[in-house]
Amino acid sequence: MTRTQGTAGSPARARAGFARRLCAWLLPLAALYATDALAVPSYSRQTGQECAACHIGAFGPALTPYGMRFKLGGYTDSDGQGRKVPVSAMAVGSVTHTATADDSGKLTHADLAEASVFLAGRITDHIGSFTQVTYDGLEHKTALDLLDVRYATTRQIKGKDTILGVSINNAPTLTDPLNTLPAWGYPYVSAPRGAGAGGAEFTGIGGLEGTVIGASGYALWNDHLYTELGTYRSLSPSALSRVGVGRDASPGILHGSEYWRVAWLGDARHAGWSVGMFGNNGSLESREDGTRTARFHDLGVDGSYQFLGTREHVFAVNGSYLRERDSVAHDSVAEGKLNASYHFRNTWGGSVGLFNATSDSGANENRGYILQADWTPWGKEDSWQAPWANLRLGVQYVGFDKVRDETGAREKASDSNSLHFFVWTAF
Amino acid sequence: MHITPPLLLAGALCALGLGLAAPARAAVAGRADAGSDVYDSECAECHSLHAGKNKKGPSLAAVTGRTAGTVPGYKYSDALAHSGIVWTPEKLAAYIAAPKKVVPGGKMKYDDGGDLTAQDIADLLAFLKGAH
Repeated sequence: MTRTQGTAGSPARARAGFARRLCAWLLPLAALYATDALAVPSYSRQTGQECAACHIGAFGPALTPYGMRFKLGGYTDSDGQGRKVPVSAMAVGSVTHTATADDSGKLTHADLAEASVFLAGRITDHIGSFTQVTYDGLEHKTALDLLDVRYATTRQIKGKDTILGVSINNAPTLTDPLNTLPAWGYPYVSAPRGAGAGGAEFTGIGGLEGTVIGASGYALWNDHLYTELGTYRSLSPSALSRVGVGRDASPGILHGSEYWRVAWLGDARHAGWSVGMFGNNGSLESREDGTRTARFHDLGVDGSYQFLGTREHVFAVNGSYLRERDSVAHDSVAEGKLNASYHFRNTWGGSVGLFNATSDSGANENRGYILQADWTPWGKEDSWQAPWANLRLGVQYVGFDKVRDETGAREKASDSNSLHFFVWTAF
Repeated sequence: MHITPPLLLAGALCALGLGLAAPARAAVAGRADAGSDVYDSECAECHSLHAGKNKKGPSLAAVTGRTAGTVPGYKYSDALAHSGIVWTPEKLAAYIAAPKKVVPGGKMKYDDGGDLTAQDIADLLAFLKGAH
């Protein structure tokens, strides 16, 4: 999921590096489970649940209330029938048609957009992981993409069940259970080429992904009140190099940001909803001369509703508004997003998203819409080869009706439009 | 005795209330087809109807009349495993409505089972009765 810049090696060399890193990170953990079956487990295998129990449309990452509780429980729920190897894999193939040609002169490209391996599941009764290592098919590089290792336990507070947890992770909002914040917001897949899915570029939320390490503590009281407090600091250039991100990927030195989140969740099983607020404050310093390059103050609000019913007709609506003020650049950037989806029998899906990114300076503003149709044949209880086989085929169109460049000058918006066909598989 | 309009109104409301309450107290006939929807909405995330398929909760295949804690391969709480409960329709109805009251120390999370109406539960039980 990470799109970082860096020096690209040859594809063969990158694949060899991928294999080496994979072995180095996963083999020691796999050895802990050496007595288990020769299978590739996943959360579904661990819990006995079908993908549709946790994910809207029977495919990640949009979570149902059930899936949210699984995540907040530290990815540790199981069917109680022995330990499983917590490893999964994923690949996304893309055909992208852009309105304007790139440097190669072509409008249409077919790519292996990314391939990932996950350490995803229960490690002990109270510790679980969602860790993703990704090979970027365009950059031809492999890196630690997402890291979320949690400890969670349940206690009684004022007579109500309360999940208490701690997470070590590498991106603000990655820990969030809702489908509204940047790490897990719509669209869940986007074209690897062209202008992508639009929206604003923030420093404090989104811009730090993969280049920081952080810790957060959270609580879910009575299945309703979710609170989280965390702090993040930048990884050193050598650490960034070791995890494959690249030593120049960091936006600067971050000594410690203050991330916070509060949300009220409702779950009536046939429907779920939420309202919340979130923020992240911190400052960045130049690695060259130590001067302060940014001091960001992020504040956002979000809300969601999903109708699940009998799971034959599933509707979801998500909205968010995030504003970031930078007191060094004396500028503010804001983004509003609203999206809705419908899935029939967790198989046939359609979704639409609206985005509007603005700034006080007028730089990098854009506005537009996303249309997506997808087919997810498996991932249900009686599906073929469940829970091993998972597939989503889809087509996504992104249309822009306003685009401004970094100087605030208006560009021809339709030049950023793209049509994206994708094959997304996980096993 | 002079009956004032407020008394008439109160009497009418009481009669209406009793009338509405009566069906809830009486035995409610369950409809298996409606119970299928209740099952899909409320139960299917955690329970399968396939024999031998356990999820977060044990399989509900042939649950009616079964002794609690006896599904092979499922790890029950000690409280339920040693409860000695036989899942009669009446016991299932009470358990669905308030699992922690029927089996203190059990691990079934369905705290707001009271959201289901008596008709919903009757429908669900009718559906589960046919689940083998």
